[in-house]
Amino acid sequence: MTATLETTVLSTVDTAVELAGVRKVFGHGSSAVVALDGVDLKVKPGEFVCLLGASGCGKSTLLNIVAGLDGATSGSLQLNTSRPAVMFQEPALMPWLTAARNVELALRFAGVGRLARKRRALELLELVRLGDVADKRPHELSGGMRQRVALARALASTTVSADGAPALLLMDEPFAALDAITRDVLQSELLRVWETTNTAIIFVTHDVREAVRLGQRVVLLSSRPGRVVREWDVTDSSDTVLDEINTHLREVISGHAS
Amino acid sequence: MATPPDTLDKVGAGLDALDVPVEAHKPPLWRRFLKTGVPPIIAFALLLGVWQALWASALLPEFQLPAPVNVWNELVRSIGTGEAFSILWTSLHRAVFGFIAAVLIATPLGLLVAKVRVVRAAIGSLLTGLQSLPSVAWVPAAILWFGVTPSTIYFVVLMGSVPSIANGLVAGIDQIPPLLPRVGRALGAGRLASARHILLPAALPGYLAGLKQGWAFSWRSLMAAEIIATSPQLGTGLGQYLHNGSSLNDINMVIAAIFLILLVGIGIELMLFRPLERAVLRARGLTGAL
Repeated sequence: MTATLETTVLSTVDTAVELAGVRKVFGHGSSAVVALDGVDLKVKPGEFVCLLGASGCGKSTLLNIVAGLDGATSGSLQLNTSRPAVMFQEPALMPWLTAARNVELALRFAGVGRLARKRRALELLELVRLGDVADKRPHELSGGMRQRVALARALASTTVSADGAPALLLMDEPFAALDAITRDVLQSELLRVWETTNTAIIFVTHDVREAVRLGQRVVLLSSRPGRVVREWDVTDSSDTVLDEINTHLREVISGHAS
Repeated sequence: MATPPDTLDKVGAGLDALDVPVEAHKPPLWRRFLKTGVPPIIAFALLLGVWQALWASALLPEFQLPAPVNVWNELVRSIGTGEAFSILWTSLHRAVFGFIAAVLIATPLGLLVAKVRVVRAAIGSLLTGLQSLPSVAWVPAAILWFGVTPSTIYFVVLMGSVPSIANGLVAGIDQIPPLLPRVGRALGAGRLASARHILLPAALPGYLAGLKQGWAFSWRSLMAAEIIATSPQLGTGLGQYLHNGSSLNDINMVIAAIFLILLVGIGIELMLFRPLERAVLRARGLTGAL
């Protein structure tokens, strides 16, 4: 018993997520499409990793596998975190619930009591600076505000675990549908939230600039089948790294031209 | 290159201030009444005027087209003797009991059809087909099975309203954006929690439309059953009252009965379904039709 406990503690220290040889095939026989082929990926607790790739590189598939919404065809996935939270490109708030209730829903599914739910939901809405509109319904909020409510809800679902396991947030192009200014603001908001909550984040995007600005590490995936092409450490994001990643991304895409 | 974070915070606060929706100013009560209350009153008055003119022109004999005032007198008479209330009560309580029973049967049925593929394949089209079958067609069969008893009437009411309610629920569930249940799964909802907190509320507008139609069908099925299946044992409901008027060649009674049937239909719609529907749609920001 003690031994298992020790290994968990040990593993939580160095990796939050570990994918090894993950392969995903859609369909059967001749029409089968290999979406992911032998993807290895390690994410440390509290690390911000951006998955970068053109369309069809299976980055959303990869995220769904980590989220447990989809199963891998082969390979292994090890999570040393609490239940991962997911944020999609659309906020996908329940239109009949207020902002606060939407956040509370995540806590309700986790079995949190009513009062604690209310308090925690308000805390999280304050964190994304939406405490004032807690009683508004989604249709009364702007696109950026809705996405922030979705962020608060995602955080609610990942930080409830009592065992103190590190939190994990999976984001699937969450800002792609927003206008440039709002995206800019939300990116800085996300960085602030990340710094205060110490949550590991896997962020899927096709925008090199966004990946370099947000992530500590950028992982470039190839398309059809998705494989890890290269990784960059972008903690000190310089323009040379940006150009280098751009060049590689273009190479990956133009490889499909013929 | 990067903008300092506190500047961005200010930009964010500015965006929020710009994005906060402007609350629509509610017009005063008399103006709202002018907009929603007056047109139907005018329409009704016009209808009465046309009726009165037609009667005055004497194109049709009196036993076919009565004077509005005679129908009014018949209504006043039946209300004065208390007959109208006992008739309304007999019919209304049957309709309400029948409707509640229909809701209790149709809701689990609709859930099953919507969520279990085999059940949908087996009885989905039957359920849709039953909706287009006039429930009055069940009356002869029901009389043979149950005799002229309340069971016959309730059977016909159920056959009329259950398919509507179940189909409404199925349509409501079919129209849920697939992302919502997915979010539920991502948030860790089990099957039951997902049904209770996501599927049912998300399907509510369609379900409500089904309930509304189910009520209309149960009311008209009840009338059909009451008109055909008459016996002293069943008491006098609106249908029997209408039937009696027809047997007595009393056009005043017939028109008065039709008026009462219509009144109940409009009353339930205005007092129950309209406010419910408004509340549900408004909460979702679907105010275009309101």
